[in-house]
Amino acid sequence: MASAGGSEPGAEDAAKTAEGVYEDVMPCDKMELSQRLAVEELITTEASYVHNIQLCVSDIRAHLQKKQLPDLDLEGLFSNTDDILHVSKRFLKGLEATATQEHEQLLCISALFQEFKEEMESVYKIYCASYEHALLLVESYRKDPRLQEEILETLNATVPHTGASDLSFFLVMPVQRVTKYPLLLGKILENTPPSASAYPALQAAVRAMAQVNANINEYKRRREVATKYNKAEHLTLRDRLARLNTHSIAKKTTRLSRLFMHEAGIVAKTEDREYDDLEEKFQCVVSSVAMLKDNVASYLGHLEAFLLSAPHKRDLQIDEGPAQQYCHLAEHLHCTVFPEFKRRLERLVCQPLCSLSDMLVGPQQLVKKRLDKLLDYEEIQERKSETGSVTYDEEAAMNTYLAINALLMTELPRFNQVALQLLGQILCSLSALQRDLAAQVLHRAEKELEQLPHGHVPLPSFWKMVEDTLQQSSTQLRTFCQTFETVTPSPVTQPLNPAEERKVLSLVSKHGPDKLYQVTSNVSGSKDLDLTLQRGQIVALLQSMDTKGNTSRWLVDAGGTVPEGLCLLANSSPIARYKASSLGCRCQPRRAAQREGDIHMRHLKLPGPRWPPSAQLSRWSLASPSQPGVRGR
Amino acid sequence: MSWIPFKIGQPKKQLVPKTVERDFEREYGKLQQLEDQTKKLQKDMKKSTDADLAMSKSAVKISSDLLSNPLCEQEPGFLEMVTAFDTAMKRMDSFNQEKVNQIQKTVIEPLKKFSGAIPSVCVAVKRREQTLQDYRRLQARLEKYEDKERTGPVLAKLHQAREELRPVKEDFEAKNKQLLEEMPKFYSSRIDYFKPSFESLVRAQVVYYTEMHKIFGDLTAQIDRPGLSDEQRERENDAKLSELRALSIVADD
Repeated sequence: MASAGGSEPGAEDAAKTAEGVYEDVMPCDKMELSQRLAVEELITTEASYVHNIQLCVSDIRAHLQKKQLPDLDLEGLFSNTDDILHVSKRFLKGLEATATQEHEQLLCISALFQEFKEEMESVYKIYCASYEHALLLVESYRKDPRLQEEILETLNATVPHTGASDLSFFLVMPVQRVTKYPLLLGKILENTPPSASAYPALQAAVRAMAQVNANINEYKRRREVATKYNKAEHLTLRDRLARLNTHSIAKKTTRLSRLFMHEAGIVAKTEDREYDDLEEKFQCVVSSVAMLKDNVASYLGHLEAFLLSAPHKRDLQIDEGPAQQYCHLAEHLHCTVFPEFKRRLERLVCQPLCSLSDMLVGPQQLVKKRLDKLLDYEEIQERKSETGSVTYDEEAAMNTYLAINALLMTELPRFNQVALQLLGQILCSLSALQRDLAAQVLHRAEKELEQLPHGHVPLPSFWKMVEDTLQQSSTQLRTFCQTFETVTPSPVTQPLNPAEERKVLSLVSKHGPDKLYQVTSNVSGSKDLDLTLQRGQIVALLQSMDTKGNTSRWLVDAGGTVPEGLCLLANSSPIARYKASSLGCRCQPRRAAQREGDIHMRHLKLPGPRWPPSAQLSRWSLASPSQPGVRGR
Repeated sequence: MSWIPFKIGQPKKQLVPKTVERDFEREYGKLQQLEDQTKKLQKDMKKSTDADLAMSKSAVKISSDLLSNPLCEQEPGFLEMVTAFDTAMKRMDSFNQEKVNQIQKTVIEPLKKFSGAIPSVCVAVKRREQTLQDYRRLQARLEKYEDKERTGPVLAKLHQAREELRPVKEDFEAKNKQLLEEMPKFYSSRIDYFKPSFESLVRAQVVYYTEMHKIFGDLTAQIDRPGLSDEQRERENDAKLSELRALSIVADD
């Protein structure tokens, strides 16, 4: 029984019984009756609403889900109806509980609405914002005969009593319901005397639900504006040109001129300090995300290069000793530890960064659009202040600006904050990854270290020891080299043919006998003026440097076959000393003298007492022709 | 040798036994292979240390770029985290530089020296080869004279040919023996030669990663929460991303 909350005497109360309530029709009771009916309407309609939504979720949606139709977007159609169902069920329970409250029922109902209003707002706003999209889907499915058939079949199977031929019959219910609440409450309110104790509470409840609806609408509008403008447009030049028409050109020109006037200080910019700070922070977030993404990519690139070069794969044929320890360690690092590190890095750092980076696009677009719309807004404001009125389109344009601005002011702070938190998480992950990498490497490296002969030697002495050992090895190497270099070139033991004899004689007469040298192995010239000589050829050494003073090449005369008669011989060419006994007779071979300076180190440049640059020329001397058989000088 | 009056003939007698020649080839081949591998190892080491240095430098760039972003000025909590991170990265970079220097000194330099010593063997081998050619030629000439009718002048030439041959043969045999002894010695010297380098490689890494573990262990203790698994981290990241996605200003794809 509804509590009238009035000043009715207890006697009348006692007189009325549950059965008699409908028989006593007094003027104020009519109001009371209407009020009671309105309350009952609220509760019964809520019950039937919940019942229908239940059918929607458990029967219709489930039935369609079982059919596994790939072209059917169930998420798009039903959105968050299951959340609506949960909230509404609990709400209904609360409502039904108020029926036992008698005098307090209205207060309880008002309190219940206040309790549920936030939840309802958050759940219904999502549904309402995607309702248009759901309707579009229904429409498109209607045109597909196969899908339409399936849908009809489902509806007939699950809710034949409704005679519904379309999903929209059910899909519209939440939209209708949430807008009904203020109306239902209003009906109860109008049938409640203002003096009733529940009146202020009821009033507040009506206002609250009206506010909920307003918020839902605002949210819906902002979502529409956001969705319209938050996508980056990937237009080709052709598309952009196609978009140009007098209207768009005029619009852009106006904006541009206004922007110019801002920058030139001709027109005052609309200063919005709060927004500017917000946008500045957002731009910082954008730049730090972009930078971090690039730097991490570069880091990964170097890591990959590091893994590509695999020095441990080179085989020096050393099967024992520290080489093995090194190879085991390096193999383990390359095949296990670093790939694991890379994988974790990708999962915990790269992927979230990429996702975050993608999300920046929407807000960036909206920031850009806001500026455009602001310029329009200012333009229209000016005109409004001049003419006093604006057209419908202008009004709409102004509202668009206001919507985008409000949207950004509301959501950018949250965006910035969450993005920053995510960046922090990523940095923490990065730090942990480095620590874990080090731990894994050490785990293996310390084992290998144990097996090294000097693994336990403390550090400073270890490095000293290595240095000393390397010093000794270096000396030993030099010894080896010297050994190999004592394998000296052998003298060439050919007698000369008459032509050669003549050449040699001419060289002797030109330059003197002490300038003759013989080539001990074939030389091929590579640079200009370099000679190509055969082994055994005799040349005259003129200068132990070339025309530029460079001592790595010698100036020799090879006997007139070259235009100038003079050419250069690289001093790294192997020419060895040869002592022949006499011209014209059998030259006696003689072992090359081990004179310092005759032996040329081709590859090793050892510091040493003045090793002359080219020692591959060997002196070729003549004995006097009248003394055959005499050994050389 | 166009001016040599005789055509170089090949002697009938086998001057170098096949087994000796085979041994020689094998030893020489091993040294050539070793030269090739040490040169490649040196190159790979260089590439590896270059990449290592680059990695470390780009790690420092991660933190220092973030530090110079104005975001840090506005958010003291973030600033603290990024500063600590930057300090850690810079310290690691200097340790890395030390490690690379050590490797340069104790591994790459010795490698260079070793591979630089091998060409002297090649020169020696070439000289032996030349001597062998001379030996062959003189031997062929001797054989030619031996086949001829033993007249007076022929005998004189024969005698002279023998005289000429003898020192060349001795020369060759000396060279051959020397090389056959020294080449294997040199080859096996590599084991002891490279021992310190490999020890150094392992030790240097232990030193570096010990520091790294300490530094990042401390950093994580400072800025992170302990005991987070990868799955938990992923979930946290996904939660933040979902929060962002729920905003209207973020475009749905």
